[in-house]
Amino acid sequence: MADARPTTRHGARAIVQAFESAGVTLVPSVPDTWIGWLMEDMRRSTKLRVIDVTREEEAIAIACGAALCGTRAAVVIQNAGLLNSGAIVGSLVHLYRIPCLLLVSYRGDERDPTYYHVPKGRATEPTLDAWSIRYAKAEGAARIGEQIQRAIVWTEEARAPFALLFSAEDLA
Amino acid sequence: MTVPRKAWLDALAATLDAQALVVAGLGANARYLPHLPIKAAHFAMCDAMGAAIPLALGMALARPDRQVISLEGDGSLLMNLGTLATLGATGARNLTILLFDNRHYESSGGQELPRVEVDLVAIARAARVPIAERLAAAAALAPAVAGARNAGPAFYLLPTLFDPHEPIPPYSERPDEIRLNFARRVA
Repeated sequence: MADARPTTRHGARAIVQAFESAGVTLVPSVPDTWIGWLMEDMRRSTKLRVIDVTREEEAIAIACGAALCGTRAAVVIQNAGLLNSGAIVGSLVHLYRIPCLLLVSYRGDERDPTYYHVPKGRATEPTLDAWSIRYAKAEGAARIGEQIQRAIVWTEEARAPFALLFSAEDLA
Repeated sequence: MTVPRKAWLDALAATLDAQALVVAGLGANARYLPHLPIKAAHFAMCDAMGAAIPLALGMALARPDRQVISLEGDGSLLMNLGTLATLGATGARNLTILLFDNRHYESSGGQELPRVEVDLVAIARAARVPIAERLAAAAALAPAVAGARNAGPAFYLLPTLFDPHEPIPPYSERPDEIRLNFARRVA
């Protein structure tokens, strides 16, 4: 059951802790079911400010504006929203070489075989490749914090976007 | 009654101090920006239509000590209208939007916007943007910007003359240069 709520939240807490220890302070986001679970922990943090936005391109632009002012931000969106965001990735993030971490709920891959998510799942990784966005799949609660820390370092050294794709089981 | 774009920009340049941060959406404002006599850090967008307001919002949230001014066009805002709801929700007091309303996609050749009267000030008010007004003359801009400092987010609609023969300068800075100059002035 892809949308069965995890009974533990070790991964969600590891994500929050990784953001906090990396000095992330702004988290612009558009929710989905899994992100809603994650945000319950995110909103408890006194160090992170979640910015609820109406569209994923906004979230990316907000993160870029923060980065241009020396503030670390992390975008949290679903892969549907990522697929909406090609123009802003190309014409803002890549064009101006702005570090940008994208934490993306990965609907429709083999861990989420929900029929109406599957087309997005099939398109996600080829699209990331086509848009020259480096990415990795989250590897569970024990590893996701370290993956986030490395991704943040990479975005800043490369001055480029990085997408970390997570599933519900990575929040458990 | 409309006002030439350059008159709005000259009025803005006259009122900006070095502490302000300015973002211009793609097109004429971005092309004019490097040629204006301003000391404020400025970031001109060559593309990414519709992103000038959320980009400025990110700056405003990152730097609450600076007044951030976003120059956006009516066509660009219509492409990303939901951003007004985000503005109303975040309540970034240091963010001021100057919306150049000329009813045309000027940067792509002057095509008309969809032919319907859209009251963008009313939409901003409905989205709980605390200051949402239409300015009638360039002389009104300086007091409006001053009045919005730490009282925003503010949304000022600037009725702007569409002149297909306006001698708008070409883009004169490349993206790396824009980013680095902005970073130097922010620091």
